[in-house]
Amino acid sequence: MPGDLAALLAIALVALVTYGSRIAGALIMSRIETSPRISQFLDALAVSVVAALVASIAARGGLKEIAAIVLASAVMIGTRSATWAMLTGMLCAAAWTALTT
Amino acid sequence: MLRGMRRLLPVAVFVIPFGIAFGVAAVERGLSATQAVVMSAFVFSGTAQFAALDFWREPIAFLSLGLVVLALNGRHIIMSAALSPWLNRVGIGRRLLVLGFLSDANFADSRSGLKDSDGDLGPMLGGGIVLWMTWVTGTAIGVLGGSVLGHPETFGFDVVMVCFFAAVVARHLQQASNVVPVIVAAMVAALTLEWLPLGWNIILAALAGALTAVFRSAR
Repeated sequence: MPGDLAALLAIALVALVTYGSRIAGALIMSRIETSPRISQFLDALAVSVVAALVASIAARGGLKEIAAIVLASAVMIGTRSATWAMLTGMLCAAAWTALTT
Repeated sequence: MLRGMRRLLPVAVFVIPFGIAFGVAAVERGLSATQAVVMSAFVFSGTAQFAALDFWREPIAFLSLGLVVLALNGRHIIMSAALSPWLNRVGIGRRLLVLGFLSDANFADSRSGLKDSDGDLGPMLGGGIVLWMTWVTGTAIGVLGGSVLGHPETFGFDVVMVCFFAAVVARHLQQASNVVPVIVAAMVAALTLEWLPLGWNIILAALAGALTAVFRSAR
């Protein structure tokens, strides 16, 4: 079991790296000129990150997650409400869990 | 700022069970209650914190831990760069403050809001703060004995975050130019999950999606 000092250092390391990653992007970009091409790239980058997260979680999960995701997406397109999308997705997953265990 | 807090409150409330899960896992791995709560307060990243638990042994492999956290949180660099047009318009102090609360959820929520409101970072900061508060609170509850609350799966809590993300992507899919990049990013992320360490596949997929968009419009 790590001692108190090692634990503190580890927490500080994780905190610093995480915070660093949060500020790095903006700080780097402040030194570059923007152009329509760059902002288009960043726009696509933003939606791609979220899409990649969804795909990773779905791939690591299974049909239950995929079903919840598809349902949530459909509800979002239909109702334009993220809250309803989340709730229906959750209900779907809860029902799936209940029916398969 | 209050608007942001209200908008992300549903997601934030569901962060509590995840915070509890971390609190419970942390205590199981040998962290003290204080260490776990401090970690949630200063790191504010579920993926990084859970990964760090894997390294919690004697002696701690600091270098590997640092690299893993960097890879996992590499997407923060991308998100931060994506927000830079608005962030770099405000002073460095405010910039560093808002960025401290950057997370997947308030980033996903903030992009359209920033375009419409011409750069008001208040909602993003508000959303970030409320997410942070529930994350820390959840951790605190977890370390104090969350085992009584049962499994997240029972009520579908295990999918709440991914459903929120899916909703965000769905909203953007209504703009036709986003469809192919999203498909590319999703496929790259899913396909490289097996042979790229967690975190790197997200970065690669995001870059692939973004490059796809740029190349397609160049034709």
